[in-house]
Amino acid sequence: MVAIYYVVFVNTLYFSILALSFRNIWTIFRRSHYSKYNTLSGSELVPSVSLLVPAYNEELTIIENVNCLMTLNYPTYEVIVVNDGSSDATLKILLDEYRLKPVPNTKIRGKIACQKIRGIYHNPEFPDLYVIDKENGGKADSLNAGINLSHYPLISSIDADSLLEKDALIRMARMYMENPEETVAIGGDVRIANGCKIENGAVQDVSLPRKIWPMFQSIEYLKAFLGGRIGWSHMNGLIIVSGAFGMFRKDAVIAVGGYRDGYPGEDMNIIIKLHRYMLENKLKYRVAFCPEAVCWTQAPDSYRILSSQRKRWGRGNLKNMLENRGMLFNPKYKVMGMVTMPYNVIFEALNPYFRITGLLALAGYVLLDMTQWPILLLFGLLNFVSGYLLSVGALVLEEIAFKRYNKLSDLVKMLVYSALKFVGYHQLGVLWRLQGHVQFLQNNNSWGTMTRQSWSEDEKKTSEAA
Amino acid sequence: MPNTATLQREAAVNVYRSVEQGLKETGAETCGLMFIHCAGHAQPEQQVRTHLEQTSESAFQVWKDGATQAIAVLLPGLSLDEVHYKGLRIKHELQETVPGADPQITLASFAEGERPSKATIQHMAESSKLVDSSEIHIYTLDNTADEPERILIVDNDPTVREFLQLRLKMQGYETYEAVDGLAALDLIEKVTPDLVLTELNLYGIDGLPFIHHIQKLEMEQPPKIVVLTEQRVEQTISQCFRSGVDDYMTKPFSPVELDARIRRCLH
Repeated sequence: MVAIYYVVFVNTLYFSILALSFRNIWTIFRRSHYSKYNTLSGSELVPSVSLLVPAYNEELTIIENVNCLMTLNYPTYEVIVVNDGSSDATLKILLDEYRLKPVPNTKIRGKIACQKIRGIYHNPEFPDLYVIDKENGGKADSLNAGINLSHYPLISSIDADSLLEKDALIRMARMYMENPEETVAIGGDVRIANGCKIENGAVQDVSLPRKIWPMFQSIEYLKAFLGGRIGWSHMNGLIIVSGAFGMFRKDAVIAVGGYRDGYPGEDMNIIIKLHRYMLENKLKYRVAFCPEAVCWTQAPDSYRILSSQRKRWGRGNLKNMLENRGMLFNPKYKVMGMVTMPYNVIFEALNPYFRITGLLALAGYVLLDMTQWPILLLFGLLNFVSGYLLSVGALVLEEIAFKRYNKLSDLVKMLVYSALKFVGYHQLGVLWRLQGHVQFLQNNNSWGTMTRQSWSEDEKKTSEAA
Repeated sequence: MPNTATLQREAAVNVYRSVEQGLKETGAETCGLMFIHCAGHAQPEQQVRTHLEQTSESAFQVWKDGATQAIAVLLPGLSLDEVHYKGLRIKHELQETVPGADPQITLASFAEGERPSKATIQHMAESSKLVDSSEIHIYTLDNTADEPERILIVDNDPTVREFLQLRLKMQGYETYEAVDGLAALDLIEKVTPDLVLTELNLYGIDGLPFIHHIQKLEMEQPPKIVVLTEQRVEQTISQCFRSGVDDYMTKPFSPVELDARIRRCLH
């Protein structure tokens, strides 16, 4: 019976979050359709931003990525690439491409501790590009080094395998400028770029991935970002701003001591710390989500890499929950303590155990003839339908406000895959999370395998497939 | 037969001389001149003459130019709009009376002080043959000076490109357009424009590096660079001038001001 209550409860919660997302989508639609960013993108009044790009063994994608970041529609910003002691030619490629020279007598303000910096490179021909070369210390450490060098009051973390849309940053800044006093962090919408045509550091033609793993992730991301985060941000209970693309107020990040080192899940960690800090000091604040600021990222396209990524997420999530267990059901932490954290612990972290015990219980009931197959089927069907409705809801949101996927065939494909997701992929997700927890108990805190593909290679491949 | 060709050329030279003479001799304040060319047809000189005899109150002269196969019509005393009206009438008449005729007309009106030289008249006759639209082409003295200046427009907004192109064409410039910096760099080497009118916010390559690239291209006459952009940050503006752009304008812009600044850069 517990399992049934669990399912009913979790679905109510999911649907209310989705309902909140729907409530906001009209505002978002109007915002993204009727605003013109031309004037804003050249204005002196827009706050300047430092883009931090941690790069570890990214020789294949880094140039395309930096080219993309240097042609954003934004008045004043700088790009800081942090080479995290890569073992490949990442640094050399950067230095050659932009003819960068070491900067003598660098002043690093050292507000946050980070690994030793070997050198800073710059070329006056590209006045807004800096490259930091430092000893290996992980993604969080690279971000901290970037913060130390950054010259501007806002920082934005961007993965080296992601491409920003030209307007992404200015859209985010617009949201920040609506309420600069209270906004401490803004998350962007992350989408899967596999299958899209990429040219000159910009996505030229949007279409769905052709491989099965990225396809599932596409739908998953759509659901998480549009169906989930819009709703969560509405009640200021956002627990994560994607590490792939988020914007932060630098003073707030420094106040919480920067990014936490040595463990994955630093993107969730920084947000929890911000919530915690603001609530403990009784400051008014907002963690916002800006769905019209789009970042295209490369999704893992093989089982091995995907599973390793998901295990890492499971590990990071558990670690973050354990570290901040004091916030759980603590009224002092408002929405965060009463809704978001419990939701995360019960439905995200403990999800696998509920599912497995539920399944075992059901099997037990059936074996002991305490229930009949029809009921079991009905139960399964109910589960499927509600899950499917959630995915379709996210698709409807996408079609109302953004319409990035224009082909009818793509829409049909998404609907079909949303259903297929429940056969196999979902179960694998549970398994990966469980494995992540096992890794946590084994004290394994490595980053795991993550290989990159060059954007052009990807494109070649897709054109062959076409 | 070479002989006929020489004869024709001589006859042509004589036609231009007679036209020039005719222009000089008329005492009128203005004098209209028109070249009519019907592609692929025997030139309907007779129809033109008859039509003019029927409609014109004042004197006129008609020649047939052997070299360009055009009919030259001298209309003393007519101002530009009168000549244009006449041209429209003749065009209409020819379309009515000569089946399948597609008359291409180039016309102008010269004031007393600025009677054209023989070379100009010849150029005008040749241009009547080259006109490729059915509109009547008004020949202006500016065009005769030398080749039009070439301007390359770089902007990723198609509306802005279209507007600038129309406007600059009307000013008599030859225009080219490019969507982004990389395409522009290719075009610059191909068409060697006299001036590049560029937005800073481009795809593929950012504005400042793009400007550096242009300056590094090995060209006999590097193009002038005028920036027309949304970017209003002072620091960027000063960076642009330091790297040697010739002018900087921000959007939204005044077209008149833009014309003036471009003219100043080119002359």
